[in-house]
Order: sequence, then structure tokens, then C-alpha cells
Amino acid sequence: MGNILTFENVDAGYGRVQILHDLSFSVEEGEVYGVIGPNGCGKTTMFNALIGLIIPTKGKITFNGQDVTKVKPAARCHMGIGRTYQVPRPFEGMSVFENVLVAAVHGAGHSEHEGRGVALESLKLTDLYEKREIPAGELTLLDRKRLEIARALGTQPKLLLLDEVAAGLTEAEVQDVMKMVADLKAAGYSIIWIEHVIQTMVESTDHLMCMAEGHQLLIGEPRPVMESKEVEAVYLGVEEEDIEDE
Amino acid sequence: MGDNKTLASAHKPIKVLDGIPMLIVCIIVVAALYILGITGIFSSNLMRYLMNIFLYITLGEMWNLLSGFTGMTSLGNQTFIGLAGFSVAVMTSTYKMSIWVGILVAVVIALVVSLLLSFVLFRMRGMYFAIATWVVAEAICTWFLSWKFVNQGGGMSIRAKPYPRVPEIYLMALTLCVIAMVVVYALLRTKTGLGLTAMRDDADASSSVGVNIFKSKLLVYVIAAIFTALAGAVFFVNKQTIYPSSGFDISWTVSMVFIVIIGGIGTVSGPVVGAIIYVLLSEILAKLPGWSNIILGAIAILVIIFLPDGIMGTLQKKLHFELFSQKRFSAPKKDLKTKAQMQA
Repeated sequence: MGNILTFENVDAGYGRVQILHDLSFSVEEGEVYGVIGPNGCGKTTMFNALIGLIIPTKGKITFNGQDVTKVKPAARCHMGIGRTYQVPRPFEGMSVFENVLVAAVHGAGHSEHEGRGVALESLKLTDLYEKREIPAGELTLLDRKRLEIARALGTQPKLLLLDEVAAGLTEAEVQDVMKMVADLKAAGYSIIWIEHVIQTMVESTDHLMCMAEGHQLLIGEPRPVMESKEVEAVYLGVEEEDIEDE
Repeated sequence: MGDNKTLASAHKPIKVLDGIPMLIVCIIVVAALYILGITGIFSSNLMRYLMNIFLYITLGEMWNLLSGFTGMTSLGNQTFIGLAGFSVAVMTSTYKMSIWVGILVAVVIALVVSLLLSFVLFRMRGMYFAIATWVVAEAICTWFLSWKFVNQGGGMSIRAKPYPRVPEIYLMALTLCVIAMVVVYALLRTKTGLGLTAMRDDADASSSVGVNIFKSKLLVYVIAAIFTALAGAVFFVNKQTIYPSSGFDISWTVSMVFIVIIGGIGTVSGPVVGAIIYVLLSEILAKLPGWSNIILGAIAILVIIFLPDGIMGTLQKKLHFELFSQKRFSAPKKDLKTKAQMQA
């Protein structure tokens, strides 16, 4: 299968602060692509550039064969990029169902009538169906994370971006999340998953990228990447000066 | 999954009262207000009160649409009130046109100005947006104070040969208020309306699920500008004179905020309750000059502390109902009914 997403030499940041430096990688269709890296290495910034909240100053982002480098967030959502936020950002004044309905109506372009079915389907996939009429502001952390995924699914994406969906969860809850991701992969979604929980990255991903200082440090099969010296170095801070010198 | 049930049962289902019975009640109330106005059963004085209530409901609904439903808190809606008042004054006294031409010009100016302002104002969010709208109102006021065409600060009067009498202005205000409420409710029931609430709760997250923020904001801002202008035009037709200091007065915004906060922000019925209370209170407090703003302010603070959802918002939450609701249920209404019947 071909690539659903490619970053080519992307520079991006906020105002004058450049976070991403010459970042290049590509994601194959239908795979789970893991992204790790120490705090501040630019993982979430990469997502922001990918969904269009920030526009790269250099380089090119190709999604599904189209150049999307300068496309607006809403338009990228219509093209099939669905994201979750690291800190869940539900529409608190709306019910769980309405949260997902917004995505189905505005993201996937359905009428409210058609969107209802899509929304209910997403809620079933994420185990939120029973709680669909509860105000989103009253959900627990795990359920808020589920809602992030349900809302992204409501937009009927081709590519799903998961930003630390397992962070802050108990071990049993992490298992739930891993199972959900496996289900989503089986349902045909391509997934990019940023995570600090090592177990999820080793067990659930097809390829793994370790980022450091806004650049791809190492890309490959999950286990070799995780066990490599370079990755150990950036995580444990060994040879920090050397890296900074580069 | 065990705690799912307890969580779900803790939430009493919300009853939406917007069925045919509610529609009939609304039609009866509106028809009664029309008939009583046309037949002259209402005294002129009563009609003046009601006229003010209708105009303040319109202003409140529009401010609420911006702030309560879309998250665009404006402190500058008086821009459109002043521009509309002066449009009518200029068209009727300078160009000797009819009041209707004046009102039409007021609408066109509101449309053009809101479109122009949107490109500047929409770059800002939250408090910055609020302050920028106020600055625009103040800037236009200052400009009018030195603009010969509008008689500088000397004020202008509105002249028309058969000048509309109180019952006619009453009917104008009533019609405007009804249309404004229907427009707001209808807008909230559309796809765009669904996106507005999402945008209010989190603009970035809403754009990443596909809500077109600029388009939605523009639509809401233009609608609010036009109806605010219409209310301003009718208000000054009744008042017959306008000064920059009265047209572009920040106290317009103060009253809109008061009405919406007291009535219930983010509810369509709130501004109705708020406007009635505001007009009655202002009438009573007019006898205590100097104290009125202090008392209105104190009431607003008490409401914010003890009833942060306002009167209608609190009632709806406590009694589990919604009026003119924008709520979307996961099952069509028919299914809900059969479920309820099965349980009974």
C-alpha cells in the first residue's frame, strides 16, 4: 500500500520560536505509526502542523496524494484527517452525542439525520454509547479520552491522530485503549499515535519514530527503535551536550 | 460498565417543551399582543413600555446570540444602534425621505459595516475582540461628534410627514421582536447552529472537527448587526432625536449584558425574561436618579453569584426542561416516546 502521509523537510513553530527542524517521515496506509520522544521535542507541534493549526515555514506535507501544507484546519478535516487532543477538549456544554454529531455534520459533511447514525456508530466503537446523553463536561478522564477518539471518528477520517490517549490512565485502562486501537486498525483506519507509555508503542505500532529537538532521530520497527542507543540517550539525557552541539 | 448505569440514572432526562402545544401558546400570545395593539385596548403608556420591552428583547437576543451561543462577547453593539439612528435621521430630515427608506438604509449600512469590521475583528478572540468592538463604537462616536454631515455633536431630529403614532411604532417593535426570536431559534436548529455551540466551547477543537469558524462567525455577526440596527432605528423613531452620545452610548451594551445575564445566557427564552425585568426596573428606578445604575449593578452581581445561569437557565436546570431548545437527541423523538411508553 502507498503512503497516506508524508512530511518532507518541514520547519514549523510558533511565531519566531522554531520547534520542528527539517522533519521528514512517511506513514503507510492502514498502519499504526508510533511517535515517541522526550517532552518538548515537537510531537504535538507536528500534529498541529499536520492538522493546519500552524503553517510550516519550509517543507511540504502531503496527505493522500495532495499537498496540504497550507490548507486550513476545517478543510483538512474534510479531507480526512481526524485528531484527538492530548488534554481532552470536549465541548462541555453539549452532550456526548452532540459532541460527536458536530463532527459527523461538520467534519464528514452529513445532514443531521445522516450524521446521527455516524455519531452513534463512533460512540459504539469507543464504548460511549451508554453515556451518550450525559453532558460531556461530566465525563471521567478515560471517557473524555474516548470522546476525543469518538469525535475524531465522527469526522470519518482516513488518518486518525492520537495524542497521548493512554497518558494518566491505569494499567487496565491502557489495555482498553490498546484494544480500541487494534479495533480501529482492523476497521481500516491509518493511525499516528503519540505516546509516552512504552508498552503501547512496542506492542501496538507497526513503525515507530523517535523525535528529538524537532527532528526525526530514528525510524523503524518498534522494538529495535526502542532498544537503540540513540533513543536511550535522548530519554536518559546521556551525552546531552553532544546532541545540543549538533 | 457497572457505574455507567448509576451515572446515567443520575441524569433525569431533559424534557424539551418545543412541541406543537408550545407553538400554539406562542401564536396565541403574539396574536393577543397584535390584536390588543391594533384595537387600541392598550393605553399609549402601556404600549410604550411594551415597545421598549420588545426592542430590548431584540437587542438581548442578538447579544446573546453573539456571546451566549457563539462565544463572541461584544461590547460594541451600540455601533449599529447609533449608525441606524443616524441613518433614519439623515434620510428623513436631510433628504426628506420616508422613515421606511431610513430603516432600509440603516439595514444596508449595518450589513456593510459588519462585513468590513469582521475582517479586522475576527482576528481577535475573547477579551481582545470585546475591547476592539468597544473601541470601534467609541471611534465612530468621536467621528460623528465632529462630522458636519450629522450636525457634529448637536444632534439630529427624525422628521416624517405623517409621523408614525405610538400604536404603529408598537407594531413595528413587536414584529421585529418576533422575527428576531424566530431567526435566532431557526438558526440554532440548523447545522451551522450546532457548530456555533461547539465553537463557543472550544474554537480550536471545533475547527479540527470541521466547523468553519470564519463563516459561522460572519453569519452570526451580520445577523446580530442587522437586527440590532433595526431595533436601534425603531427606538430612535420613537424618540425622534438622536445625539452621538445617545446613539453610541456604552450603556446600550450595559443593558444588553444585564438583560442576558439576568434572564439566562445561552437560552433563547432568557432575554425575554431579562428584558421585562430590565424595563420594569428602569421605570421604577427612574424615580431615584443616580441610584439606578448602582441598584442595577448590585442586582446583576447578586444574580451572577447566586444564579450564574440566570433566571431561565436556573429554572431549566432545576426542573429538567428546556424551552426553545437547541438540544439534539440521539434518537428521533418518536423513538423516545415509545421508550417512555414502554417504561410506563
